[in-house]
Amino acid sequence: MRIVIAEDSAVMRAGLAEILADSGHEVAAAVGNAGDLLAAVAEHHPDAAVVDVRMPPGYTDEGLRAAIAIRRDHPKTGVLVFSQYIETRYTADLLGAASGGGAAGVGYLLKDRVADVEEFVEALSRVAAGGTALDPEVVTQLLRASRRTDGLGMLTARERDVLALMAEGRSNAAIAGILVVSDKSVEKHVGNIFSKLGLPPSDADHRRVLAVLRYLES
Amino acid sequence: MRASDDYVPPQRSVLERILIRSWEYRRLRFWARLRIGAGFVLVGLGFITLVGGSFTPKAVVWAAFFLVLAALQLSVGYWYLAIDHRPFARRVRELERSRARLVDDSAARLRQIERDLHDGAQSQMVAVAMKLGLATKKLRSLTDGTGQTDLERVLELVDAAHRGAKEAITELRDLARGIHPPVLDQGLGTALATLAARSEVPVELVIDLTERPSAAIETIAYFCAAELLTNVTKHSGARHATLEVAHVPGLLRVRVCDDGCGGARVEERGGLAGLAERVGTVDGRLQVASPPGGPTVVTVELPSHA
Repeated sequence: MRIVIAEDSAVMRAGLAEILADSGHEVAAAVGNAGDLLAAVAEHHPDAAVVDVRMPPGYTDEGLRAAIAIRRDHPKTGVLVFSQYIETRYTADLLGAASGGGAAGVGYLLKDRVADVEEFVEALSRVAAGGTALDPEVVTQLLRASRRTDGLGMLTARERDVLALMAEGRSNAAIAGILVVSDKSVEKHVGNIFSKLGLPPSDADHRRVLAVLRYLES
Repeated sequence: MRASDDYVPPQRSVLERILIRSWEYRRLRFWARLRIGAGFVLVGLGFITLVGGSFTPKAVVWAAFFLVLAALQLSVGYWYLAIDHRPFARRVRELERSRARLVDDSAARLRQIERDLHDGAQSQMVAVAMKLGLATKKLRSLTDGTGQTDLERVLELVDAAHRGAKEAITELRDLARGIHPPVLDQGLGTALATLAARSEVPVELVIDLTERPSAAIETIAYFCAAELLTNVTKHSGARHATLEVAHVPGLLRVRVCDDGCGGARVEERGGLAGLAERVGTVDGRLQVASPPGGPTVVTVELPSHA
C-alpha cells in the first residue's frame, strides 16, 4: 500500500512511518498539518491516509475536516483517522461523510491502538480496501448512545458481541477467530442479528458495518 | 457621580427599579433619614394631639391621621435604607470581574495542561508502545520461526522505547511541578530559594517572612516569582537580579528587580497582563517600573490570606 501520514508530533510521525515501512508498505509522504496533507494526497494518490485529528494551526479538528475532504475529493483513498480521545461528534461527522459518499473506506481509532502493530496495519489495510475500521470505543459509544434499545434488547449477549465486532468492521472469519467459535455459528449469529434488527443481509464487510451503524444511529 | 452609582442589583421589583433610576435615589440615605425623622415627628404629633385634645373624637381622628402618615413615612424610610446597596455595588462589581478572571484563568490553565499532556507525555508513550509493539512482533516471528529477525534491530527498538519512556517521565515530572511544585509544601521561602537557584541569571534572595501566608497566596506568589525570573532571563539581558519577599502588614510583597535593559510593559495578552490578572483574582496588585535602559522593578502585592 502507498500511504500518506499526517501527524503533528514528530515522534509519532517517525514511529508510524517505521511501523508501516516495517510491515512492507510504502510511506509516500509524512506531513505535520492539514494543508500539507491535502497537497500530499493530491500529489501521491495514496491507497490510504493516516490522519491525526488535532493538528496545527488551531489544534482542534483540522485533521478531521481534511479527512472528510479527502473522502469527498479522492474516493479511492481510504482515510484512517486517529486521536487521543474518541469524540462522539467526530464519529458522527466521519460516518456521515462515509455513508454520504456512498462508500466506506473510513476508519476511526484511538492512538493507543497503534501499539498493537499487526491489528493497526490490518485495520489500515481494511480501510484502504474500502472497508471500515472503528475503534471498539467508538462502537461502545454508539451502542450506548443508540436510541434503538428496542431491537438491541432482543439480542442475546453473544449476538451483542458479534454486533459490536461487526460494527468495528470485522469480517465473519475475524469475528470467529476473536470469539473462538466456528465460522458457521458466527454466520448464524449474524443472520439472527440482521433479522432481529430488520436489516437486509449483505456480505461485503463495509456494507454490513454501514447497515449496523445506520440502524444504531436512526 | 461615580460609575458604581449606576449599579442596579438584579431581580428588583418594578417599583424599586423606577426609584433607583429616580433623582431621589441619588440621595437615598438623606431621604431615608428625612422620612424616618418625619415619621417620628408625626408619631409625636399624634400623641400630643391625642393627649392635648383630651381624647375628644375630633382629637382621635387627627391623631389617627398623624399616625397613619407616620407609619407611611417610617415604612418608606426604612425601605429606602433596605434597598440602598451602593456601598456594596462597587465591591460586587469588582468581585464579579475577579471571579470571571479566575474562571478564565483556571480554564486557560487546564487547557494548557491538557495540551502539554497531549503533545508531550501522551504522544511519547504512544510512540513507546508503538516501538515495543514492533519489537514484540519481530521477536515473535523469531520464536515462531516464521521469519528472519535482526536482533540488532530489536535491540534498537527497545533502546529507543526505553529512552522515550524516560523522556516521558521527565516531561510528566516537569508538568506535575508546573501544576503544583511539591517544594511549596515546605514553605514559600524554601520554594523561592529553589527557584532562585535554578535561574540562569544570578539571583540574590531576600526573604523576610514572619508568618506563613495561606496556601493559595503562596502558590500565586511562587508562580509570579517564577514568571518574573523567567522574564528576566528571557528578555532583560540582565546580569543580576534580586528577588525580595516580605510581609508588610496584611500584605505579602514579592519584588523582582534586575539591571537589564528595561522597557517592560503590561501589554494586552502579554505575560505581565496574565500575571496581573492572576494577582487580581485575590485582590492583589502588580506594578511595573521599567524605564528604557532599566532597571526593571516589578512589585506584586497580595493579601496574606485569601
